[in-house]
Amino acid sequence: MIKSSFYGSQFLTLLSFLVAIFFINNINAAEGGPCKDYGDCDKFKYSLNDMESLQRGASTYINYCYGCHSLQYSRWGRVAKDLQIPEDIFFENLVFDKSIKPGDLMTGAMSDDSVNWFGVAPPDLTLVSRYKGDDWIYSYLRAYYEDSSKQYGVNNLVYPGTAMPNVLLSLQGNQRLVCKNIPVIANNGGEKRDENGNTITNEKCGFLEVQEGTGELTKEEFDTLIYDLTNFLVYVGEPIKATRERIGWYVVFYFLIFTALASLLYREYHKDYLK
Amino acid sequence: MSEIAGKLFSWVNDRLPIVNTFERHLSKHPVPSKVNFWYLFGALASVVLIIQIVSGIWLIMPYSNTEEEAFSSIEYIMRDVDYGWVIRYIHTTGASMFFAVVYLHMFRGLLYGSYQKPKELVWIFGCTIYLAMMAEGFLGYVLPYGQMSYWGAQVIISLFGAIPYIGESLELWVRGDYYISGITVSRFFALHVVALPLVLIALVFLHLVALHEVGAGNPEGVDIEEFLDDDGVPLDSVPFFPYKVLNALVGIGVFMTVFAIIMFFFPEGGGYFIEMANFQEANPLVTPDHIAPVWYYAPFFTMLRAVPDPLGGLIVMGSAVAIFFVVPWLDRSNVASIRYKGIYSKIALVLFGVSFLTLGYLGTVGVTEVRKTMSVVCTVIYFAYFLLMPIYTKYEKTKEVPKRL
Repeated sequence: MIKSSFYGSQFLTLLSFLVAIFFINNINAAEGGPCKDYGDCDKFKYSLNDMESLQRGASTYINYCYGCHSLQYSRWGRVAKDLQIPEDIFFENLVFDKSIKPGDLMTGAMSDDSVNWFGVAPPDLTLVSRYKGDDWIYSYLRAYYEDSSKQYGVNNLVYPGTAMPNVLLSLQGNQRLVCKNIPVIANNGGEKRDENGNTITNEKCGFLEVQEGTGELTKEEFDTLIYDLTNFLVYVGEPIKATRERIGWYVVFYFLIFTALASLLYREYHKDYLK
Repeated sequence: MSEIAGKLFSWVNDRLPIVNTFERHLSKHPVPSKVNFWYLFGALASVVLIIQIVSGIWLIMPYSNTEEEAFSSIEYIMRDVDYGWVIRYIHTTGASMFFAVVYLHMFRGLLYGSYQKPKELVWIFGCTIYLAMMAEGFLGYVLPYGQMSYWGAQVIISLFGAIPYIGESLELWVRGDYYISGITVSRFFALHVVALPLVLIALVFLHLVALHEVGAGNPEGVDIEEFLDDDGVPLDSVPFFPYKVLNALVGIGVFMTVFAIIMFFFPEGGGYFIEMANFQEANPLVTPDHIAPVWYYAPFFTMLRAVPDPLGGLIVMGSAVAIFFVVPWLDRSNVASIRYKGIYSKIALVLFGVSFLTLGYLGTVGVTEVRKTMSVVCTVIYFAYFLLMPIYTKYEKTKEVPKRL
C-alpha cells in the first residue's frame, strides 16, 4: 500500500509546502508586534520542572500581585502540591488568611473598591499566560519607565497607558527612557569614522535604562525574578503542562510501535495478492 | 456451553441478518486491490468521528451550559477533573483533525473523480456530511464561552440578518435573545450534543450504504466490476478483511501518532486550533483586537469578506459550499481519474488547491489592500474551477484508461 502515484506525490509535495507556509505565518506576526513600542517581545522559554524557580515565582506572585490579582481557577493546595512545597510550610508562609483551606480557590484578596482606585478592576490572571503569551508577560513586566504625565508616574512600552502601577519599582529601581549615541554603520559593514578617526555616531532614543543604585536588585537579579514569576504564571495557566509533555512521549512512542507492527503485518498479508 | 451459544446465535441470526450484513459490508466486501494513501482518509474520518463522540460524551458530564459557569466549567475540566485535560484536548484536537482529514478526503474525490456515475449519491451524502460538520464545529466552538466563542458567534449569527425581509427575525430566532447569552449557549449545547450528532451519524450511515452499493473507486478510474471471477467477485479486488483493515490500520497508526504529537505538545496549534483570545471569558463590552475564525472556516470567511455587501458575501460563501453538490454534473469528462484527464483539468485542480489554501491563509490575518485584491482573485479562481468544469473537461484530450487495475 501507500505507493503514492506520480501525480499523488506531486500534489502532496505542493500541498505540504503550502500548508507549511500557512503555519509559519503566525496570527500575531501579521498584525504588528503584540509588544507594541517595545518592538519584538523578548523570547521566554519556560522550565516547568525547575521547582525552585516556580516556588520563587509563586512567592513573588503572592507577595506582590495576589493583593490585586486573583487566580480564581487555581486551588491553594494544588499549587503547594505541584510545586512540591510541604503544605504546612506553604500555609504558614504564603497564605495570609488563616481561614483558607487547601481545597479553596485562589479568589483574591481585593475589595470592591478596586475599580475606584485603578479605573478598572484588576483582571484575574489564572489564564494570562494563555491569552497574552509568556513572551508578552516577560517583556511587559520589564518594560516600565518613568513618565510623570501618568497617574502613577510610570508608563509601559509593551502596554502603553497601562492602568497598573509598577509594583516592583522598589526592586527594579527607576527605569527611564534614555537616548544613546549609536555608531553609524558604513556600507562595508564597519563603523563610520570621520577624518580624525573618531567614530561617527547618531543619537537614538527609546532605550530602557535603570538608574544605578535606585533598586534593591541588580538588573540580572530582577530579570531572574521576572523569569520566575512568568514561569509561575505559565504553570498556573496550565498546571498539567509538564505532565502533559511527559506523558506525550510515551503515547507517541506507543503509536510508533503500533504503526511499525501494523506495517509488518500488512506487508505479510500484502504478499497474498501482489507478487 | 459452546453448543448453547451456537444455538442461541443461529436463533438470533435467523431473525436478524447478522452474518449476512457482516459479510456484505465488512468481512467479504470486495475493494479494489490497488489504491494509494489518498484512499485512507475516509477510514480516518470515521475514526475521528468515533473519537469525537466518545470524548464528547465524557465532556458533557462535567460541562455546565449556563452563562455563568460555561467558561469556568472548562477550567474545572482542565484542572480538577482527573485527566479532564486529556479528554478536552482530544476533543479540540479531534475537531481540527476531523476537518483536516475530511478536506483531504474531499480533495481525493476531486482528484480521482469519486463523484462520477454511479457515485453521485455517495458524493451528495458526503457534501451533506461536510455541511453538517461545519454547523457542528461552529456550535461547539461557542460552548467554552470565551471571547472568540462570543464574538465569532456574534459575526456568524449576524449573517442571518443580511437576508432580506426575514433576516432580523431569523437572527433573533436563532439566538433566542437580543444578544448572545446563556440562552444561546444552552440551545447550541442541545444542538451540538444531540441534534447534529444524530444527523451526522445518519448521514455517515447513508454515505457508507450507498458506497457499498456502487463499490469503492480507485486511482486509475477503472471499473473493477467488468471482470469477475466464477463467483461474481471482481478479479481486481480483495476482501475488506483482513487486507483493507490492515491497510487502514497502518494509516490509523500514522494518523494517531500525528494526533498525539499535536495533542500533547501543541494543543493550541499555534493559535489555529485553540485561539488565544478564547482563554478569556466572553465579554460583551470588549471586542477582541482581531476576530479570526478557526482555520477550517478561514477560506469561506475570506470569501465573505471579499464581497463588500453583506448579503452578497453571504450568497458567495453559501455558494462556495453548495457548488460541491453539483460537481457530478459539472464534470463532463469520459475518464474519472486525474491520471487520464487532460492538461486543463490538471492545471485547474492545482489552481483550485492553491487558491483554496491562499483563501484559508487570508482568513486568519487582518485585511490590507493587497490581501483584499488577493482574496477577490482567489475567490474568482475557486468558482472558475467549478463553473468552467463542463467546458475544460469536455474539450480536452484524455488518455485511454486501462481495462484492468
